[in-house]
Amino acid sequence: MYRSQKLSLRYYTAAVALFGVMIVFGLLSALYYLYPSLLFNVFNFNMSKILHIDTLVIWLLMGFLGAVYWYLPKELGREVEGMWLAELMFWVFCAAVVVVAAVFVFVQYGAANEFSMWFINQGRKYVEAPRWAAIGIVVVMLVFAYNVIATCIKARKMTGIMWVLVLDLIPLLAVYLDAFPAVTNMSVDLYWWWWLVHMWVESTWEVLIGCVMALVLMDVMGTSRRIVETWLYIEVMLVLGAGILGLGHHYFWIGTPQYWLSIGGFFSALEPLPLLGMVVHAIYDAGTHRMKTNNQPAFWWITAEAFGNFIGAGIWGFMMTLPQINLFSHGTQWTVSHGHFAFYGAYVCGVIAVLYVAKQQVSGADVLGGRAWKWGFGLLNFGMVGMVMGLLLAGMAQAFYGRAMGGSTLMAFTTASENPWFVSGMYARMLFGVVFAAGYVVLVYDLLTSPRRVPALQAQPEPA
Amino acid sequence: MDIEDPSFWRAGAISTTLVMLVVLAFLSIDSMRVISVGGANVPQYDVINHQIGYTYNWSRRADVPVIGGPEPLFGKTVTAAEATALMRTGKLVIQSRACMDCHTIFGNGAYYGPDLTKSWLDPAWQQIWMPMTGKATREDAMVEFLMHPDKYPTWTRAMPNLQLTQDEARATVAYLKWLSSVDTNGFPANFGQSGKQP
Amino acid sequence: MTASALIETAALLGLFVLAGGGYGSLYSVGRLWARPALIRAGSVCWIAAFALALTIALRTPLDIGWKLLILASALVYAVIPPLIWRYLERLHHEQEIRR
Repeated sequence: MYRSQKLSLRYYTAAVALFGVMIVFGLLSALYYLYPSLLFNVFNFNMSKILHIDTLVIWLLMGFLGAVYWYLPKELGREVEGMWLAELMFWVFCAAVVVVAAVFVFVQYGAANEFSMWFINQGRKYVEAPRWAAIGIVVVMLVFAYNVIATCIKARKMTGIMWVLVLDLIPLLAVYLDAFPAVTNMSVDLYWWWWLVHMWVESTWEVLIGCVMALVLMDVMGTSRRIVETWLYIEVMLVLGAGILGLGHHYFWIGTPQYWLSIGGFFSALEPLPLLGMVVHAIYDAGTHRMKTNNQPAFWWITAEAFGNFIGAGIWGFMMTLPQINLFSHGTQWTVSHGHFAFYGAYVCGVIAVLYVAKQQVSGADVLGGRAWKWGFGLLNFGMVGMVMGLLLAGMAQAFYGRAMGGSTLMAFTTASENPWFVSGMYARMLFGVVFAAGYVVLVYDLLTSPRRVPALQAQPEPA
Repeated sequence: MDIEDPSFWRAGAISTTLVMLVVLAFLSIDSMRVISVGGANVPQYDVINHQIGYTYNWSRRADVPVIGGPEPLFGKTVTAAEATALMRTGKLVIQSRACMDCHTIFGNGAYYGPDLTKSWLDPAWQQIWMPMTGKATREDAMVEFLMHPDKYPTWTRAMPNLQLTQDEARATVAYLKWLSSVDTNGFPANFGQSGKQP
Repeated sequence: MTASALIETAALLGLFVLAGGGYGSLYSVGRLWARPALIRAGSVCWIAAFALALTIALRTPLDIGWKLLILASALVYAVIPPLIWRYLERLHHEQEIRR
């Protein structure tokens, strides 16, 4: 095993641990809706929510980093350049996460001054981490970029996938620079904040996971490089073609000009079309490669990704993306429902697939199967579907009673939040959240236990 | 044209991305013009010296903010520089206390508390908090509430005490008043007009 | 838009994409297993999607531009699965020859 693959395993471990932390704070956040006096004035909803969404970003990012460190030497046929720096950065990254989390738990917030921005809490959704930690993330990503580019140069080899990856690193880093300023004008603040959030989540991350999936498909299903690269280019074209101006669906109501209503609505209405293509592709691949794969869990998680993406981003997105609907659905639990499903479909399933790829190689098992992974797969998917249905119900009640009928005031918000539809939706979310958590426990158990040695043919020779 | 050839799609991917980025760049330049302070949709900060309303505009088919006559905040007209300083502090309060991890502004943030886009115009200040706090004006009631929210709960989901100083609370109120003057293409719809549906 | 029109329209939009997805999935599985019945079921899904698009166009208060876009995308839904399937077959066939 390459040194960078050992680093990759560390990243995976950290990612899975943070996945767990994310679930814990997700459950806690859900609990506040049912028991509002919970930890009141001690540890309030906002801090729990911050830890829930920030660990989401960090664990997925760590999963991506792990996946790239895993495949880089395989793809380029040599050890990754600057490994000592990469290893150092892993510990810096982990230490920073722990310190930031401790500050969020014990200090929580500061006074309205620059000191708070630098050392306590920046209070901008997803990028709450104080500026020093944001600098840390930039350094980690710079080292990551150096590892990738320097290895390509040393190997004197540049595959299509590597080109896409390297080029993707530029916007990945560039938009993150928006994690620093505290612009007074909220419209301008949110305008650039969406560049960061949307361009990460709906563009650069999509391309990054596209590269990872391309490598996984070659590895797990034995798809040829030519096919995989063709699809990667098509995917990049569709994701960025619709995604860059799809940014417009965040510019409906933040003070931006009216033309964004048409642009944003148009490009996001197109989004289900490429996703439908991906579903067809997934079924084709499943059919042609099913017999060849010896990693059932990875295979099923990849398939779940295609369907999850279509349902979460496609169906859930289309329901609420047209401006006339979005005027009422925006900023309700409806958005939360869509967010959960889309993140899960687009990224979580993909990262779990990669974890199973690593498990197979580490354990040296020829065939990965058994029953535990099926339970993990079932519980996680069932839990997620249940949660988003509960949230959808709650969100529709809010849009109906709170926004369309009530006119969005405090009283309207209160009335909608006390509506039985809303309340039952929140209870359902809590219940299925527990199911999801159970799925996580099974997943971790399955990842940690060594697979049964089903017909041990011949151990794969591994590079030193 | 060989659509099985990856280089065909590579060219497609590069050109599509570049075209979209150029379009986005132009749109962003134009948007900045509109949303900068003093732009078409975002009034100057000293708009807080004026009355602010929100009414349905039939030609726009949306609710729009209406700037009225003088109505100085806390009874004192502020200069442009003073207003800017107030806003700076107000925004830092909103960030340092992570307001948007419970509330939303322009619908962005978390969904545990109500949306604050037009909260300055919320009838609850007159109907609930002015009598509750015993304050004579909306802004004074807001300051009192923001400094001791846990003393004035209106329902089970109460706001925690985030230790705002008086200056911080006043700056936050100023910020919320300015925020309500931003033209948001009609979001939120029918604000404060329960039952009315255009 | 009234509160009830809001929920109805959103539900129709969601069902429309769901039906489109059902068509794509059934068509693909039908082709994969060479089961004409599944392909026919897929076509029924597409007809449902088109009927939903028509209902959206006739019954909801959406602006005319969005209605036209939805009707047009219903037609695009019809061609995507066969087109992609044929493309995939060509691509993989060519690979076999190359090998």
